[in-house]
Amino acid sequence: MTAGTTAEAAEATTARAAGTHPGRREESRAPWVRPLVALIVTALFAVPLYLVVVNVFKPGGHITGSPASIPWPPTLDNLKATLDRPDNLYWDGLINSVEITAVSIVVLAILSAMLGHYLARTRSRFARVMLLTLLAGLMVPPQVILVPVVRILRLTHLMTTLTGMVAFNVGYYIPFGVFVFAGFIRSIPIELEEAAALDGAGRWRTFWIVIFPLLRPATASVLIFLGVWIWNDFLDPLIILGPVGGTTVTVGVYRALGEHQSNYGQLFGLMFLAALPVVIFYFLLQKHFVKGLTGGAVKG
Amino acid sequence: MTSMQGSLRGSSQGSRQSTKNRRSNLGYFLGFGAPGLFFYACFVFAPLVLSLGYSFTNADAFAPNTKFTGLHNYVKLLGDPDFRMEVRVTTILTLIIVIVPNVAGLAIAVLLNRQGRLYRALRTVFFVPVVLSSVVVSVVWQAMLTDGGLLDTVLGSMGVKHPPGWLSDPSIALYSVGSIASWQLLGFCTVVYLAGLQGVPDELLEAAAIDGAGKWTRFRRVTWPMLAPALTINTVMLLITGFKTYDYVQVITHGGPGTGTTATVAYGVIQTGFTENKTGMASAMAVVMLIIVAVVSSVALRLLQRREVEL
Repeated sequence: MTAGTTAEAAEATTARAAGTHPGRREESRAPWVRPLVALIVTALFAVPLYLVVVNVFKPGGHITGSPASIPWPPTLDNLKATLDRPDNLYWDGLINSVEITAVSIVVLAILSAMLGHYLARTRSRFARVMLLTLLAGLMVPPQVILVPVVRILRLTHLMTTLTGMVAFNVGYYIPFGVFVFAGFIRSIPIELEEAAALDGAGRWRTFWIVIFPLLRPATASVLIFLGVWIWNDFLDPLIILGPVGGTTVTVGVYRALGEHQSNYGQLFGLMFLAALPVVIFYFLLQKHFVKGLTGGAVKG
Repeated sequence: MTSMQGSLRGSSQGSRQSTKNRRSNLGYFLGFGAPGLFFYACFVFAPLVLSLGYSFTNADAFAPNTKFTGLHNYVKLLGDPDFRMEVRVTTILTLIIVIVPNVAGLAIAVLLNRQGRLYRALRTVFFVPVVLSSVVVSVVWQAMLTDGGLLDTVLGSMGVKHPPGWLSDPSIALYSVGSIASWQLLGFCTVVYLAGLQGVPDELLEAAAIDGAGKWTRFRRVTWPMLAPALTINTVMLLITGFKTYDYVQVITHGGPGTGTTATVAYGVIQTGFTENKTGMASAMAVVMLIIVAVVSSVALRLLQRREVEL
């Protein structure tokens, strides 16, 4: 046995005795390297976010002059100007965004939970084909279907209406909901439903009283992800609501872009207020975001 | 299957039971399955079929006489230099979008894969762009990268006199757009890789260390194979996102600078369908786009999943 292997074995034993990750051993030589590198990398990554936050609170003229400086004294002029716009772009957009997002995700959660249940519990060829057809819908880009979607909405007089926008959202995002719910429902023992049925509960009651409450983690994922996607959606409301049907906050940022080319202060103010609800939502529900994303990332 | 079980169980009661069962299955479909399928059929399935149908016609919002023209649109697309350019732009963008966030996201996940408040806070930062609208991200980056914008101001104060035209130089703009998209998508990959890293058992790494495996070997032989499912998720998600890149182009470059240097197929479909109102041609482009997305992402999924199984 050479000295080298003994030393290595000894080191390994120490590492195991310490009960730590083997990486720790090498790190202990310079424990400050990783946090320092992590901080620098994160700071560089966050520069664009920093620029928005500081420039929202700066008078317009100071932005192009010293974009990276700290806004001192801070001003609320940009936010005020956004809120008091004569065309009401922000408030109108906000109301539309809240309505569209809230109605869409509630309808989506209900319909995709039921459809997911039907497809997970029915073992016919029809159900299998339907599930595959729906899952294929997960990768259909909106651009591929928008031209005919507009024709269908015109035909049904739903074009440029919030109802039309919600109806499209429900159809377009239901594959995601079904994907989440069907997977989750398969993990719930069917005996539970059979027991409820023996007690005389019908399918409808069994589902809403026994099953749906158990789906809470799946429901949370569906509400959270679809909520963020629909709030942030750009192309679909741009085309479906058009200039007639008003605008959402996200489309509003785009509409304001032309007029503010040089006035970053006001543009950033609008952007800040448009993104704020989603960001607050993210900070509050961070754990759910991560859990929802990483369901399938771990083996086994 | 369900109805068969039902009739077996209820065989003593004869066919009455099975009729009842069939009727209850129909009720189950109408109550639970049909409402959701109806919306999907109206807004995804029917439009797909219609798109395919339009693509064989000369449909045009301003010309009333729609005629069946067979493969004319597709043949025209093949020889259309604009469309070829769009395919080229989309391919380059998709490559950037698949590679950069995957690699950088993994590196950052490995860097931040530690306990403690500091790392938790830093992990939070990387995910913020993922929850922002791509419109917001586009506007921020445009303000930074435009000629004489925030980045040029900073570079100027550092003594750089003639910074490149990040968004105005036709040979650079596409890479700028790719970088912006990568910046936004990176956090997604980081979170997925971090979850994968949490799933690597410490005992396995320790065993490898005892066998004399160095840091790199441990990563290459133990950690990396265990990250296969995370790689699958990220790659397929990035592929699908890359192919449909639209928002950044619409907000930042409008397909320019010059002619079509950043115009993607998705951008072309919308321009042709809604600005030029050529429904038939736009539909043919959409069909080609869908076929590319479907083929590439399902092949990638198959290959990556096979890699997972071989583990």
